[in-house]
Amino acid sequence: MTGTPKCQNRIELLQGMLDMLVLQALLREPMHGYAIAQVICSRSGEVFTVETGSLYPALHRLERQKWVKSEWKLTESKQRAKYYQLTALGKKQLTSDHQRWLQLVRAISAVMEPEVQS
Amino acid sequence: MIRWPWDRAKESLSEELESHLQMAIAARVARGEDPEHARAAALREVGNLPLIEDVTREHWGWMWLENLLHDTRYALRQLRRAPAFTATALLTLAFGIGANLGVFQLLYAVILAELPIPHPEEVVRIHVARSPFDQSWTISYPAYQRLRDATPDVPLMATAYAQDATLEFPNRASIEASLAPVSDNYFSGLGVAPAAGRLFVQADERMEQSEWPVVLRYDFARNMFGSARQAVGQHLVLNGRAFVVIGVAHRRFLGDLTGRAPDIWLPLALQSTGAFAFSWDSLGPGHDVSLDKPWYNQPTIFWLVLTARIPPERRAAVLAHWDQVFRNDREVMTEATADPAVKAALLHAKSGIAPLSENGMRKSFTGPLTLLMGLSASIFLVGCLNLANLQLARLHARAHELSVRMALGASSSRLIRQIVLEDAVLVAGGSMGAFVLGPLASGVLVRWASNRNSLFTFDLHPNLPLAALGVGLMLLSLLCFSILPVVIFIRTGVAQTAGSRAKVAGISQTARQRMRSNVLLGTQVSLSLLLSTMSGCFAATLVHWETVDVGMDREHVLIVRPELHQPRYTDHSEMLPELYSRIRERLQGLPGVRSAAVEMCGGIHCGWITALYVHGRNDLTDAQVHGQEDHVGLGFFSTLGIPILRGRDFSSSDTDKTQPVAIISRGYARQLFGDSDPIGHSVGYGPAPNDHKFLIVGEVADARVNGAEREAPPVVYMSINQNPAPVNSIRVRAVGDPRQLSESVRQALREVDPALPVSEIVPLATEVNGDLGTEKLLARLAGIYASLTLLLVAIGFYGVMSSRTARRRSEFGIRLALGATRRHIQMLIVGQTARILLAGILPGAILSILALHVAGHFLYGSVSVNSLAIIAASFVLAFAGSVATLIPARRAAFADPLETLRSE
Repeated sequence: MTGTPKCQNRIELLQGMLDMLVLQALLREPMHGYAIAQVICSRSGEVFTVETGSLYPALHRLERQKWVKSEWKLTESKQRAKYYQLTALGKKQLTSDHQRWLQLVRAISAVMEPEVQS
Repeated sequence: MIRWPWDRAKESLSEELESHLQMAIAARVARGEDPEHARAAALREVGNLPLIEDVTREHWGWMWLENLLHDTRYALRQLRRAPAFTATALLTLAFGIGANLGVFQLLYAVILAELPIPHPEEVVRIHVARSPFDQSWTISYPAYQRLRDATPDVPLMATAYAQDATLEFPNRASIEASLAPVSDNYFSGLGVAPAAGRLFVQADERMEQSEWPVVLRYDFARNMFGSARQAVGQHLVLNGRAFVVIGVAHRRFLGDLTGRAPDIWLPLALQSTGAFAFSWDSLGPGHDVSLDKPWYNQPTIFWLVLTARIPPERRAAVLAHWDQVFRNDREVMTEATADPAVKAALLHAKSGIAPLSENGMRKSFTGPLTLLMGLSASIFLVGCLNLANLQLARLHARAHELSVRMALGASSSRLIRQIVLEDAVLVAGGSMGAFVLGPLASGVLVRWASNRNSLFTFDLHPNLPLAALGVGLMLLSLLCFSILPVVIFIRTGVAQTAGSRAKVAGISQTARQRMRSNVLLGTQVSLSLLLSTMSGCFAATLVHWETVDVGMDREHVLIVRPELHQPRYTDHSEMLPELYSRIRERLQGLPGVRSAAVEMCGGIHCGWITALYVHGRNDLTDAQVHGQEDHVGLGFFSTLGIPILRGRDFSSSDTDKTQPVAIISRGYARQLFGDSDPIGHSVGYGPAPNDHKFLIVGEVADARVNGAEREAPPVVYMSINQNPAPVNSIRVRAVGDPRQLSESVRQALREVDPALPVSEIVPLATEVNGDLGTEKLLARLAGIYASLTLLLVAIGFYGVMSSRTARRRSEFGIRLALGATRRHIQMLIVGQTARILLAGILPGAILSILALHVAGHFLYGSVSVNSLAIIAASFVLAFAGSVATLIPARRAAFADPLETLRSE
């Protein structure tokens, strides 16, 4: 294996987490698939890499569930790319996903580090 | 090329991924990598693009539709590549399902369908009393009026039977139309709505109308006038009387008697015109019966059948009330008999009801149709088994391809789906054929089942049960010949053959797989034996009735039906004997004619029931005195070929001025006199004190005058010259084929009396076989089924043995190389067929014997005699199976062993 990918897949994404991360990435502005992968990679401190083979199925799944909508636009470098944008439904979904995630983190922390909690 | 919506989506997806790749490359180049290297690295990082596309597409949600379309296209391609299999399957399915639909449609119309009226269960036949001679449930018009008036709130309808009438319409050839005389409340009582115009009301029952109202059957109106609406107001001429169409009955309403749909409904009052021939019964001669006068005020003519709409809970009360009202009529009816037991029974009889469905049609057709349904189910099953076997053989041939595809990652469910889809396309195609074939088949069946003189008319509109049956059979066939074999095959076959080319090509078929197709073939043989046996027996039965000794010379006699019921003959009946004598002389002068005679009865449905009382005998029961009557001209017995056993024939010296004479049949003589000589006894129509004026002068042999399949009735023959009346037939005995005389007879009759119309000329054989409808239906359909199953079994053996010998080619090559003879190889293959045949014939024989017991009612001859047909059918089957096997066997045996081995 040669090359030096910026993000190593050090931690495997939990089932369903990718959807939440993608929605979160799109919260501020519409983005194309490549940018989404980059954003998730950089924001995670280069811990997560998003495989193309997972990203696009996820994007098309989210689009089918009407959480995102897409549109072909030109990038800054004048290249045609498909931009994804969060819908109102998607925002709601993100909020509830986020809530559940916080619950999960709290619960797992409570189990793993009881002394810190008490 | 069609552009599907997903084609665009696919392009868009490719572009999206491509742009992703470009951005990844651009990012690397921006970081300073050289473009070549950047591209390679980006490609590695992104991964397998087509795979990503595939995985992504699965999230679109309509991949299944796309796959289905792909698979359908693939299926069609596969089917095109196997035209023989496709054609066999399509025809098998179309016929197998079509036959079932056709028979079921008839079965439904005859047995299951209710009258298309509101609350059909409330409508019942009212059985008040049986008429004295015909034993039919008919009553007189005055009695009907009394019953109807007694219960004004209960719709009581009356119907009568009338013979077909000649319908004339301007600019059109005249046709025979079937009639149904009905009371004015008939349609309102049943709840039938008009399709156009109006139906009968009370005013239509008026006497002496200058133009009588009629109602037409929907399809009849459409055929005659184009549409129901156009029919209303049309003027018709029926038997010379003027009619106007006032309305057309609802499209689905075909009368209240299954199978006998009348073309025209008309008022009962029409009887008073005397222009129509109504069926009737009476107390007999000498009871104040005047058939020539209107019947509406004669209490001793019984001609009306009653139908009423009564809710079940009121039936007992209404019937009891009617019995009170009818008591006087019962007393009148006792005058018809001298038998005290019969008198008492008549007086104490109570009215009853019978469902409309209890009619002759249902009685005579329920059995045959159920039987046919069973036979149709068997042929469907044979078809499915055959296809299942062909399918297995086909799958074995494709085993290598399938195993390679599975090895390459095709899911077994996708493979199963593809093959099942292929067959679903076949089933869909076959079913389309079936839904076209089914109604055609029922039409043909109706024609076969119909008696010669009257075509049955049924409501054969498509209905829900029919559609349900069709869909059910489709699914069943798909399950039998596709889903089960494929699932079994994929689960076992492919797994075992996977990987090894040699194993696939060689003797990979396991014993279990061989067993499976053997069982399928054996079952086919069993069912085919059953169908062949039944077909043989039905054919034998038909042949029996068509050739049985009817006591008449059935092959040489012609029946000519003249139309003598016209005023110019009926008003001068004293002139008739002279006309008959001229006709006879002229016809006997024709070359090829042996003799000719006139007869009152026109054919097998004469049914002239009578009673004969013997002078000086008071001990006779009704069973003894009842028989049939016929009035015949000179030379009748020699013309029909009925031998005179004792005494003499009628002679020209028997006239209306001499002693009235009678000749009785052997059966009637035995009934009245036992074995003693009937000659010289005096007989009459009533018990003493009525006069017994007829002197018996002769005794003739029995003849099956009511049809070949009915026992010869007791008949008394009187001389037409002593009782002059219009006859219904002229019988001509020919030297050779009577059919060839038709034209010369017609010509000769024109010469005798140019004004005398002849309505029909038929051979006696056709007439006496006229009621063999069910026999013909069973024989013909079973014959077709049997030949089809034979064909299917032959195809089955051919298909299975071909694929087996193809698979064993190298084995045979080695055998031949090692010194086996070609004969030996052939016997090896034929031996397999023989074992399967034997294994199928044994259970088939048991099945056949059971079926013969069940169907014994429709077969002539005992079960043991009919069982002989099993042996014959077995031989035919064995022959068909062997011939079908010999073709692949010869191919295998005569292949060049060197070639076979080299190709390994």
